[in-house]
Amino acid sequence: MTDLPGLPSRRSFLKATAAGAALSGLAVSAKAQSTPPPVPLHEYEPEYFQPEEWQFILAAVSRLIPSEGEGPGAIDARVPVFIDRQMLDTYGTASDWYMEGPHDPAADPLLGWQSPLTPAEIYRQAIPVFNAWCKDTYDAEFADLGDDDQDAALTSLQKGEVGLRAELRDFFTILLSNTKEGYFADPMYGGNHGMQAWLYIGFPGARANYKEWVERYNVEYPLGPVSIKGERA
Amino acid sequence: MKTFLRIVAGLVVLGVVALLAFIFVPVQTTKPTEDLADDWKPAEGQGEYVMYASDCAACHTGKDGDFAGGVAIDSPMGAIWASNITPDKETGIGNWTLDQFRAALYDGIDDEGAHLYPAMPYENFRKLSEQDVRALYDYFMNDVAPVHNEVQKTELSFPFNLRFGIRAWNWLALTGDAGFDPTQAADIQNRGQYLVEGPGHCAACHSPRTAFMTQDGTTAGDKNFLAGGEIDGWLAPTLRGEDSAPQKWSVEDTATYLATGRNNHSTANGEMGLVVEHSLQHLTDQDNLAIAAFLKGIDGADVTVPEDFASLADAPLALEEDAPDAVPTETEKMLSEATDLSEGARLYLDNCSACHFVTGNGAPQIFPSLAGNTLVTADQTEPLISIILHGADVPSTQKRPMHLVMQGYADRLSDQEIAELASFVRSGWGNDAAPVTAADVKAVRDAD
Repeated sequence: MTDLPGLPSRRSFLKATAAGAALSGLAVSAKAQSTPPPVPLHEYEPEYFQPEEWQFILAAVSRLIPSEGEGPGAIDARVPVFIDRQMLDTYGTASDWYMEGPHDPAADPLLGWQSPLTPAEIYRQAIPVFNAWCKDTYDAEFADLGDDDQDAALTSLQKGEVGLRAELRDFFTILLSNTKEGYFADPMYGGNHGMQAWLYIGFPGARANYKEWVERYNVEYPLGPVSIKGERA
Repeated sequence: MKTFLRIVAGLVVLGVVALLAFIFVPVQTTKPTEDLADDWKPAEGQGEYVMYASDCAACHTGKDGDFAGGVAIDSPMGAIWASNITPDKETGIGNWTLDQFRAALYDGIDDEGAHLYPAMPYENFRKLSEQDVRALYDYFMNDVAPVHNEVQKTELSFPFNLRFGIRAWNWLALTGDAGFDPTQAADIQNRGQYLVEGPGHCAACHSPRTAFMTQDGTTAGDKNFLAGGEIDGWLAPTLRGEDSAPQKWSVEDTATYLATGRNNHSTANGEMGLVVEHSLQHLTDQDNLAIAAFLKGIDGADVTVPEDFASLADAPLALEEDAPDAVPTETEKMLSEATDLSEGARLYLDNCSACHFVTGNGAPQIFPSLAGNTLVTADQTEPLISIILHGADVPSTQKRPMHLVMQGYADRLSDQEIAELASFVRSGWGNDAAPVTAADVKAVRDAD
């Protein structure tokens, strides 16, 4: 099935809605002059991504950290919001990187960022190429594939088999690392919603002092995490 | 009947004459307390030193550090504008004679014979020695650059705008003659007494005020001298009695606090931070030790004064090891276990314990102790709430250049949470102060 451009695909919509519903019951204590809960993911209006790109992001991160199985998924943690917000920030715009060149996109990957493109530009240019490859290979855009095909397509993307030119070759690498970052970063950046990722791995957050715990072996740490803005979970 | 009317009329006339005399007959100004030769000259730097010790900049300097006045000192009756004390001839004190200058310090009388508002602490400055008065005059006339700055007129509400009324106030406030009367056991304590009673004008904040708003205690012999006052909503804690800081701390600790704004127990915030920054850090080690020694002995305790405390500046900064037999407080145990926490205790762990620790003791020379801290337990809760909301800082000083900053939590904590947190620290580690309400917090948040 093919979705009309500009409309959310049914699949992504359902995933996002389910996550939103699951999260509405999540206990996050009210904050300073209590901020309202964020809009559900399926109602979120991206600051940077175009509708087709947004569908890709929703679909891709939900395969990289799926909601089925152990722990919260990337959708539950609102990772797409994190990535979207990063695109216009210093990271996405590479505003604090050296970007003057000379650029040699084909250089050894160990030599670091060689593309003349910013991360946001890589997302913008690589997603259509990858979607076109998916169409050729599976007869549908990535967001509309089944889970298995999506996994296979991402594997091909990771292996560099989808025909991305050198300037775009880091696409999978940044997609994966941005997904992890959005999953584990402080919630103030839009991801790790309700500190679910921290709760899952037992990370206590920004409490900053565990001096009296250093020598207490095999005692379970009793406190849930706290975020930089003071949310508790 | 006629006789009666005559008597009444006579009394009225007498009253009017007395009132006119009260308003218009010039006040006698105090003579020098020591006869100095006309050609007496202060030692190099003496005038500047007296200026620092007297903290003239506290009121008379705006942002430029120039003594050009124009700083508003809030009073319940309205703003009192600090005057321009640069030697500018039109807007400053360039035309003032030494006698007029002395009269301002001793009697609160300006060059035109008008009364100064007692925001000028002449209750204390009248204890300045003649040598220091001369040195200070010399400094302002010759070392300070004239600045042309017409300061806004102070316009208080009726009846406080009638300056002649201060004449009556002075009868209550200015008890005893001008000049300083040493009463301590040792020279160094006498020096401390002079600095505290005179130039330091410590009593202006640290002594309570009488019903007439005069300082209740201006010399060491007065019962309420330095027994605790209030400044701008902040507690100026008592400096005497067994629970006071100078009694609990060593002479060295107190001197370190004065010179650097921090010591092993506490830090100087708010008004006291400014006093350290503008005044006390510029005093000699010997003088800060003298002040500390005087305060230590103020109620008659024996005082041992260390040679100096310069070595403290080089001492390694480390958390003190807990004494092996130290018994942790209930609060410390609860915070360490972290299993059965009140809302306030949980907030303390989340927000405060990284620096102030579960012991509530903070860390020497950096983070003030909350246990037994008078700012924390004061009846005036505004400073504590304000510090939680907006943070605090300790000024950079010559001996301790690091400007210490505590962040504020206005964005991170709600009024209710801050109330829970403040109530917790006011009752933890042996503190025993009344709780704070969310309404208290809201009032402070809205005021800023």
